[in-house]
Amino acid sequence: MEAAAVHPQTASAFELLDVHYAYQDIPAFNGVSLCIPAGQCIALLGANGSGKSTLLRLLAALCFPDRGRLTAFGEDLSAERMQQEALAYTFRRRVGLVFQNPEVQLFNPTVFDELAFGPLQLGWKREEILRCLDAMLAEFSIVHLKHHSPHRLSGGEKKRVALASVLITRPEVLLLDEPTAALDPCSQSDVVRFLAGCRGTGRTVVTATHNLDIVAEIADYCFVLQAGRLVAQGAPKDILGDGALLRATQLLHAHWHVHADGLAHIHDHRHHLAGAGTGT
Amino acid sequence: MGAVGRSARQPTRDDGRLLKTVGEQSYLRGGHRHGRRDFLERLLRGLLDAMDHTADAEQLAAGPGVLQRLDPRIKTLGLLTLVVTAVFVKSLVALGGLFAFATALALASRMTLRRLAGQVWTGVLLFTGVLAVPAIFLVPGDALVAVPLLDWTITRQGLRGAAFLVGRAETAATFALLVILTTPWPQVLKALRSLGVPLVLVAILGMTHRYIFVLLENSVQLFEAKRSRVMGPLSGPERRRMAIASVVVLLEKSLHLATEIHLAMIARGYRGEVHLLDEFRTRTRTWDWIALASFLAVAAIAIGWQWLPSIGDRI
Amino acid sequence: MHIPDGYLSPLTCAAAYVVAAPFWFVALRKVKGQLQTRLVPTVAVVSAFSFVIMMFNLPLPGGTTGHAVGLAVAPILLGPWAAMLAISIALFIQALFFGDGGITTFGANCLNMAIVGPWVAYWLYRLISGETPLASKRRVFAAAAAGYIAISVAALLAAVQFGIQPIFFHDAAGAPLYAPYALAITIPAMMIGHLSFAGLAEAVISGGVVAYVQKVDPRLLSLSTPQVAATGGGEAATLPVGWRPTRALWAGLAALLIASPLGLLAAGIAWGEWGVDDFKDAAVPAQIAPASGNVVPPESVPQGMERLSSFWTAPMPDYEPAFMHNEYFGYILSAMVGTGLVVLAVLLLSAVLGGGRAQRAAANP
Repeated sequence: MEAAAVHPQTASAFELLDVHYAYQDIPAFNGVSLCIPAGQCIALLGANGSGKSTLLRLLAALCFPDRGRLTAFGEDLSAERMQQEALAYTFRRRVGLVFQNPEVQLFNPTVFDELAFGPLQLGWKREEILRCLDAMLAEFSIVHLKHHSPHRLSGGEKKRVALASVLITRPEVLLLDEPTAALDPCSQSDVVRFLAGCRGTGRTVVTATHNLDIVAEIADYCFVLQAGRLVAQGAPKDILGDGALLRATQLLHAHWHVHADGLAHIHDHRHHLAGAGTGT
Repeated sequence: MGAVGRSARQPTRDDGRLLKTVGEQSYLRGGHRHGRRDFLERLLRGLLDAMDHTADAEQLAAGPGVLQRLDPRIKTLGLLTLVVTAVFVKSLVALGGLFAFATALALASRMTLRRLAGQVWTGVLLFTGVLAVPAIFLVPGDALVAVPLLDWTITRQGLRGAAFLVGRAETAATFALLVILTTPWPQVLKALRSLGVPLVLVAILGMTHRYIFVLLENSVQLFEAKRSRVMGPLSGPERRRMAIASVVVLLEKSLHLATEIHLAMIARGYRGEVHLLDEFRTRTRTWDWIALASFLAVAAIAIGWQWLPSIGDRI
Repeated sequence: MHIPDGYLSPLTCAAAYVVAAPFWFVALRKVKGQLQTRLVPTVAVVSAFSFVIMMFNLPLPGGTTGHAVGLAVAPILLGPWAAMLAISIALFIQALFFGDGGITTFGANCLNMAIVGPWVAYWLYRLISGETPLASKRRVFAAAAAGYIAISVAALLAAVQFGIQPIFFHDAAGAPLYAPYALAITIPAMMIGHLSFAGLAEAVISGGVVAYVQKVDPRLLSLSTPQVAATGGGEAATLPVGWRPTRALWAGLAALLIASPLGLLAAGIAWGEWGVDDFKDAAVPAQIAPASGNVVPPESVPQGMERLSSFWTAPMPDYEPAFMHNEYFGYILSAMVGTGLVVLAVLLLSAVLGGGRAQRAAANP
C-alpha cells in the first residue's frame, strides 16, 4: 500500500512485494514491500539486526527471497534467472555493492588488482581497464596507493579504495552498507560529501546506515526498518522529525532530543559524544 | 628498516633446556619459535615480524639495485634456478663460488651484510650448523685429526659432509631470500603466473597472503581481549584452553570471512573464473636477457665444476 | 619438521614432487567440485587459517610448549582434500615468503605434512570415532590419537627421507652430499622428539579443538563425518567427501611405501658394508656417545639446539652402533611396511564403508 503511494510512473530501480527471507532458519525479513525509484538517493535506517544488510544483499542479488517478489529494472530477480550469463552480466554491470567490512570488500593483493577486479570479471579490454583505473585512482586521490597492499591502508583509504573499486564499472545503482562506520570524522565527511554529490546525478544510491547525522545530506527519501519489517518511510525531514519513531526503532537514545528544525540534534545529557555533533 | 641487522634469535631465559624448546629455520624471529615466553607476546611478535618483513621487502624492492631493476619473471626464474643449483652441485669449491655469487648479488641489490647475517646466515648456521656438527665425528672415513682426551676422530668425509650440508642450506636460503626481498609480493605472484603456475593457484596464493595478516591481527586482538579480562598470570591448562578456544573462534571467523568474500566477489561479477591483469612491462629488455644468461651460466659452471679435473676440491 | 633446502638430494626432491603432484591435482579438482565458485576465497582463507594456527604455541603439561601443525585439526574440520590444499598453500607461503622450509624440499614437506599426515589423521579419526554422535567423547579421543599418530607418521617419513640420503648420495670417497646421518640415527632422533613433544602438542590441540567445537558448534565437525551428519543436516554435510575415484592414487602410495624398503634393502646392504667396518672399529662407538650429547659444552649449544630439536633431538646417549645397525634397520623396514599396510587396511575398510554409503545413497535417492 505504502509502496504504491511513492510509486511514481517513472522507472523504478527495485520493487519488493511481500518479500520474506530467512537466514539459516532465522527470519531476517518478514513481508516487506517497497519501491526504490531510479535516480533517487535512499537511506535505509534501522538499528543493528533490523535487516538493512539483508535488504542490500537482496537488492544486489546475492541472496533471493524465500517468498514474495523482487524486481530489478522491471524484471524479476531470482536465483534461476541470475544463472543466465547475459542477465547476470548486465545486472552486475548495473548494480554495485560496497560491503561494510573492508577486509571483505578488499580481497586482492594490491589496490591496482582491486580496481581491476570488477572490469576483468566483466570482460573489459586491457587498455580500457588501465585507462579507467587511472581515472578512478585520480578521482579518489589514491594514485599514490596504487601498488599498496590493503592491509597497509588506513580506514579512510580503505573506504576510498572500496568505493573506487565498485564505481570503476560505473554502475547505475550503488548500494552501500554502513559507509561511515568506523571512520574518523575527516574520512567520514569525505564519504558524506561524495554521497551528497551523487544526488541529482541520475545514479540510484541506497545507503544503509544508523548514523542519523548524515541522512539529511545524503538522502532524498528514507526507509526505516525494524526487526525485518518496514515500519516507516518518507522524506528525511519527516523521518528525522519523528522522535517517537526514532526512539521506538532504537535509532535514537531515549535521552536524545529532536530539534524543531527537523534534524536529529544529538544531545546527550550526561556526556557529549565525540564526533556526534557534526550534523548540526 | 626495523629488521636491519637484528639477530635471528634472541636468547631467552629458557635457553639451555635441552629438548624443551623447538624452533625451525626462518627469516623471521617469531615464525616457529617455542619456549616459555608468553603466548600472546609471542604471537604478537610473530605478527609484527611478519609485517616488518613485508614492509622491509616492499621498501627494499622499491629501492635501487641490480636485482630490483630486473624483470620479476626473469629474476624469479634465475634465482630459483640458482637455488636448485645449490642443491645440485657436487663440489665444495663450486658451492663456495655460488655462495659468493649470492652475496655479491645481495650487495649489488643494496642489502647489507648485516641484514644477510641477521635474516639468513645466523639462523641457518644455528639450525643446520649445529645439526651438522656431530657428522664430523659420526660419518665413517679417513681419520684426519684425533681430538685429544676424548678419543674422537674427525673424518675427512664427515667434515666434507657437514660442509656440504651447511653450504647448501646457506646458499639456497640466501638466493631464496633475494627473491622475496627484491620483489614485491604481487610481482612474485605475477612472475609465478607467467612461469606457468595455474591462475587459480596464483589467485589463491594472493588471497592467502592477504588474509594471513587479517587473521593474525584478529588472533592478536582475540588474545588481548581475553588477557585483559584475567588477572595475574594464567596457569598452563588455562593458557591451553585459551589457545584451543582461539583456534576454534579463528576457524569460525575464517569460514564466515570466506563466505562474505565470496559474496563480495560475486557482487563484482565473479563467476568462478579467475582473471588477472598484468601491468608490468610486456617486453623484457636486453639487460634482462643478459642477466638470465649469466644466471644460467653460473648455474652451469657450478654444476659442471666437478668435471673440471685441474682444480677439483681437496679437503 | 620443515625440511630446508640442501638436506635432500635433487632426485629425492623430484621424486617427492612427482608423488605429491597427482594428489594436488585431484585435491584441486575435488575441492573445486565441492565449492564451485567458492573455491578461491574458501581455500585462500582456510590456508591463511592453517598458516596462523601453525604460529600458535601451545603450553604442554610439564611446562613446555609445542606448536601444532594442525595435521589433524585441518582434515577433521575441512575434510581431507581441502586440508591437503590448505596446508600445502600454507607451507608454500612459509617456504617462499618466510624461508621456513626449503623450495626444493617443498614437495617432500607437503608429502609429509600436507598429504600423508592429514590423510592418516582423517581416516584414523573416522575409524576410531566410528558412527558415534558428533558430541561423543570418543571423538575427542579419536582426534587426539589421530593427531598424535599422524605427526609421528609424518616425522617417520621425514626421517626416512633424511636417512636414505647418505645411502644413495655420497661422493667417491664416501662423504655424504646431503643429510649426513644414516637411518639408524635419523629415525630414533626424529621419533623421540615427535613421539614426545610434537606428538603431545598435536594430540592436545586436536583433542582440545574437537572438544571445544562439540560445545560451541558441532556442525563444524560434519565435514569429516558424512554418515552422522547426514541426519544432523546443515549445508556443510551435503559436501561430498567421496574419494573412491582416487583410491588408485592411495593404493599407489601404499605400494610405494611397501616396495621402497625392498629397494632400500638392496642398497642398504652395500651401504652397510660401507659403514660396518668403521662401526666395528673400537674407537667409533666411544666417540658417538659423547658426540650425541655434549659435543660442545651445553652453555654454548642451546640456541642451536632449540632450533634443531624440532626434528633433531639428541641421539640416544647409550646406544651401541653395531647392535643398532641391524636392529634399527629392521625396525625401519617394518615401520615402513607397517605404514604401507595401514594405508592398505584403510583402503580396504573404506571400500567396505564406501560400499555401505553407496548402498544407502541408492536406497534414498
